[in-house]
Amino acid sequence: MHRSAAKRLLHYSFFCANRTSPIRTPLHSRSPLRFLSSEPPFSDFNTRTSTTHHHDTSHTHTHTDTSRTRRTTPTTPPRATYEEEQTRVLAASLHHVIRLGWSEAAMIAGARDVAVSPSIVGAIPRKEAALVEYFMDESLQKLIDMIDSDELQLKDLVASERIAKLIKARLQMQAPYISKWPQALSIQAQPSNISTSFKQRAMLVDEFCHASNDEGSGVDWYLKRSIVGGIYSTTEIYMLTDNSTDFDDTWVFLNERVRDAFDLKKTFQEVKYFAEAVGAGLGTSLQGFTKKGC
Amino acid sequence: MLVIRMPVRIAARSLRSKILPMFTPAATLHSHATSFGFKEVNEEDKSQLVGNVFTKVASNYDIMNDLMSGGLHRLWKERLVSKLSPFPGMKHLDVAGGTGDVAFRILETIYSVHRRAVDDTLEDDLHEETQIHVCDINPNMLNVGRKRAQQRGLGDLGSLTWIEGDAERLTFEDNSMDGYTIAFGIRNVTHIEKVLAEAYRVLKKGGRFLCLELSHVDTPVFKQLYDQYSFSVIPVMGELVAGDRDSYQYLVESVRRFPPQEVFASMIADAGFQKVEYENLVGGVVAIHSGLKI
Repeated sequence: MHRSAAKRLLHYSFFCANRTSPIRTPLHSRSPLRFLSSEPPFSDFNTRTSTTHHHDTSHTHTHTDTSRTRRTTPTTPPRATYEEEQTRVLAASLHHVIRLGWSEAAMIAGARDVAVSPSIVGAIPRKEAALVEYFMDESLQKLIDMIDSDELQLKDLVASERIAKLIKARLQMQAPYISKWPQALSIQAQPSNISTSFKQRAMLVDEFCHASNDEGSGVDWYLKRSIVGGIYSTTEIYMLTDNSTDFDDTWVFLNERVRDAFDLKKTFQEVKYFAEAVGAGLGTSLQGFTKKGC
Repeated sequence: MLVIRMPVRIAARSLRSKILPMFTPAATLHSHATSFGFKEVNEEDKSQLVGNVFTKVASNYDIMNDLMSGGLHRLWKERLVSKLSPFPGMKHLDVAGGTGDVAFRILETIYSVHRRAVDDTLEDDLHEETQIHVCDINPNMLNVGRKRAQQRGLGDLGSLTWIEGDAERLTFEDNSMDGYTIAFGIRNVTHIEKVLAEAYRVLKKGGRFLCLELSHVDTPVFKQLYDQYSFSVIPVMGELVAGDRDSYQYLVESVRRFPPQEVFASMIADAGFQKVEYENLVGGVVAIHSGLKI
């Protein structure tokens, strides 16, 4: 149920197009990295279509009518949709983010890499935000794949270690972009983008909580989610100014925050037991008092 | 509806124009007669007649544009260029842009983008490659544009080229352009489909088609005001300022004959473009249609 909810939200950005497309589904529906792994077969496909098109349109001035009907009839091989091209451009743009930032310039460079006219960038709504959101979606997908393939070996760990490990795995994905990550955060915080970034973060935290599989906790599910979200965000911010090798300080910080949270949980439980005990004690004494009174 | 009501008004003004009442745009396009304003003329004659109009108005074109739109046409063109989001190294074709309004704005945008990213040496080479082709069927309009380019100091730049050519038979190679714009031009062509097919042919994969055109207003009260203004004020203005009533009568009539936003959008999609969108400005007085070639 949880997975399907995540997919439904993901559809918001790119999945919709990928899943409904007639050519794509049979090829890549179960590929582990939905975005990146699609590149080789795709470029193949595109060269094929572009050549047919070239052939098609080369006679346009003489037989406009015939070439036009040929192009619009369903007999022509299905072309890649713009969503797929957009995804390819965004994937290629990520390589330029370190140099050019989360910017239009990076997207233009990315489009050039995949031999698509950089004009396409103008057709992508909320340009830089689309790039950041693509990265967030892709990282979440990677994380889900890591969990599914049991790469993180979460089974042998206790709940607190699981949470710490998951958050670390996710944050490591943005480590290469760390110098430009403040820019990404500011893009996500812009009023026009904030609703999508909230959704993406909620999905990420869901994934953390779901994968840590910490049943039997007395603490409310929502409270737990907000605590995990808080830990993730504070660690993310801490990481921005961390100059230690391999972000060692960040991981120490993360472990401390997780421990604090679990201590807090213990405290909560202790308070609850104490309250129950006091309540019970009060109850009995009250009972005794009323009995005496009678 | 509009088409019926307008002829009545004009008949009352006893113009010589021969009027056919209801004629859907699609029917007009497939018949051998075509519209010249509200008049029906032979296909072969239309380009000649339109040519005459633009030869007559070329000298006063800018001042009339400013007067008729109250200066708004500048904002509309800015909007068109910002939607295009030009980039250094772009190959762009501006059709029916004889006076260079759109071309100059594109160049200025590219230069200002360039200034922002001075440190990027890669862009220097790309800059040499920027090519804006201005194509217009009317040499008089092109002359106006060339003169203005000289005045603006853009005349000696290698990136601007002026070409006399027909939008229905472009002389450019297949897949050679990143962008295609046509501002206030597609209304005047004989076969809109042919123009769209040519646009599709010359664009690269990822290239964008953008069309700025006077369109249809639907808001009730505003529509009446707008019609009143178009049919009563503009021809008079044309007569007083440019000494040419008929050309401006043609202008307002041809706007009414142009397909409504939705119909034109579906024509763009039929030409093979994807992600076809349009945006109404000033309640539909003008609309910017855009499409993406994949």
